Amino acid sequence: MNLLIESFTILRKELTSELRSRVAVSSVGLFALTTLVAVAYQIGPYRIHEQDRPHLHAALLWIIVFFAASSGLPRVFVKEEDAHTAKSLRLAARPGAVFAGKFLFNLVLLLGLEAFLVPLFAVFMGFSVANLPALVLVLVAGALGLASSATMVAAIISRATGSATLFVVLSVPLVLPMLVFLIQGTRTAATVPELSALLPSLRAVVSLTGVTLVSSAFLFPVVWHD
Amino acid sequence: MAGVEVRFSGLSKRFGRRAVLRNVSGTARPGEVLVVTGPNGSGKSTLLNILGGLLRPSQGEVAYLADGRTVPKEEWHRHLGVCAPDLSVYEELSAVENLRFFTQVRGLRLHDRELAAVLEQLGLKGSDFFRPVKQFSSGMLQRVKLAQALVHRPEVLLLDEPSSNLDEAGHNLLKELVMAWRAQATVVVATNDPREVAWGDQVLELAH
Amino acid sequence: MTKTKKASLALLFLWFCVVIWAAFFYAPKAAGFKGESSRIVFFHVPQAWVAVLAFCVNLVASLRYLRHRNLLDDARAAAAARLGLLFAVLATVSGSLFAKVMWGSFWNWDPREVSIAILLLIYAAYFALRQAVSDPERRGSLAAAYAILAFVTMPFLVFVVPRIYWSLHPDTIISAQGSVKVQMHPRMFQVLVGSLLGFTGLFWWLYSLEVRLSRLRLRREEGGE
Repeated sequence: MNLLIESFTILRKELTSELRSRVAVSSVGLFALTTLVAVAYQIGPYRIHEQDRPHLHAALLWIIVFFAASSGLPRVFVKEEDAHTAKSLRLAARPGAVFAGKFLFNLVLLLGLEAFLVPLFAVFMGFSVANLPALVLVLVAGALGLASSATMVAAIISRATGSATLFVVLSVPLVLPMLVFLIQGTRTAATVPELSALLPSLRAVVSLTGVTLVSSAFLFPVVWHD
Repeated sequence: MAGVEVRFSGLSKRFGRRAVLRNVSGTARPGEVLVVTGPNGSGKSTLLNILGGLLRPSQGEVAYLADGRTVPKEEWHRHLGVCAPDLSVYEELSAVENLRFFTQVRGLRLHDRELAAVLEQLGLKGSDFFRPVKQFSSGMLQRVKLAQALVHRPEVLLLDEPSSNLDEAGHNLLKELVMAWRAQATVVVATNDPREVAWGDQVLELAH
Repeated sequence: MTKTKKASLALLFLWFCVVIWAAFFYAPKAAGFKGESSRIVFFHVPQAWVAVLAFCVNLVASLRYLRHRNLLDDARAAAAARLGLLFAVLATVSGSLFAKVMWGSFWNWDPREVSIAILLLIYAAYFALRQAVSDPERRGSLAAAYAILAFVTMPFLVFVVPRIYWSLHPDTIISAQGSVKVQMHPRMFQVLVGSLLGFTGLFWWLYSLEVRLSRLRLRREEGGE
């Protein structure tokens, strides 16, 4: 119970800081917008054959989400090291609360990104969806999954050089399986009206997220304290 | 008296091939000020970091003893307040918001009035309480950092060059604070300032 | 070098000579494969096996490092990863040669190809991380944490993805008749097992050399600070 309160204290601190500086939101949002415009301008709704659309749309969407996210998500830990607040936080808070708070913040950021990006993507790219609730499920599962591994990798790189390149290098192998299932799920949601068709990929994403979160719970204190 | 005793023995720290600390031992007791002094690069900050559990020693051990029992490392943070040059507060938040955050995250609920009282004690004016810390001068920032170290009434207080960026008035205020705090806590001060070395009930001199 | 070490090295050398000879002259070629292409299996499979074995050795050493904080364990983890990377590259190259002969292109995004590609990426990321940390103790714990994290997500690639996607890859058992799930020709089986043992021995030899080197390096650093 206390852990929960402490986690939310950290989440609130992150949100307040972000609201005042807007660094993460603007970098993620601008990255998403510029990439989307570039992709839509070059490809647009009609360059892709009808039968290839669900395939390519799903892949493009998740590529934009992943790279836009990697411009902002590592900041949760990198900024603490840069501003020399990491040690203060380390002394004050339990590692579990720190991880949970930062994870929740990244989750909020990703859900916000998706809420902003997906409608625009649908408009610009002519992305049509057969089963909207299914798509929402995939997006939420994807946000959970990406936030879990991004938070852990962010913690690792902030203790190394803290560079964004290192974040991408370390994230890709961990996230690739998840992206494969997310792309598959998005394609299913776009083409198949039945919710049950989504189950295999959704199950894979959820269990992968679970495994990442459980191992992070064990590994985060190690990374955070060394 | 109750309180937490900090015992350390045989502490060494190497960074790669460079040895920063070699076989340092001592005890900081409640009701006393332990001053750690020595030339630049002698490992004062490293020692304080190890005592605070922020750095793992290459060799040796640190133990916190409360009523004769050792405190597990996961609970050190409840007993500990630290002020050091590389330990900062959040710039986007105001002084009060910072203190509120650092107490809440430790599971404490203090009224804003109590937080303001701590800031006043450190010589900050009411008009500054709700401004973002970003706009503060370095001396004012140092006072907020000291407030952050004190606000949860820690039983162990580690101060690394506490008077950096402080003027004469600030220095005197700090002296009063340390003397007052000594009665209820174990205080360790790392410094090169001869005036501060004089505060020590014990002085630990680190060689280069 | 002690006598037993010399003898075991000589044995390893002879063993490999026999395995190479047997792969080409003792084992029959498998039906359903183009020409003599099936013989690459005697080298490709053990290479992939060693790449995975090294990944497991790395995991064990990483866990031990986090437990005991002994820098030698970190050196063990790094040595296993270095060899794992080497054998993963070998397995990829031998695999794509076979793919070119059998399926007409070097790379087909077959699930197993994807999983070895990701294994390569993990190893590359692992070394990128190690290079980015200067403090040896922190390097050890960050690298160990990453290795463990990577290890727990790996099973999804190796076991889940290939079951969801259709695979070109010959099933784990290759038959002399060309149809899957029938017993492999006994001679092929013997050579494959022999080669697996040989490659495992080769890995242990290289690994212990690396660990010895690291031990000497660590000792020198401690003595000559």
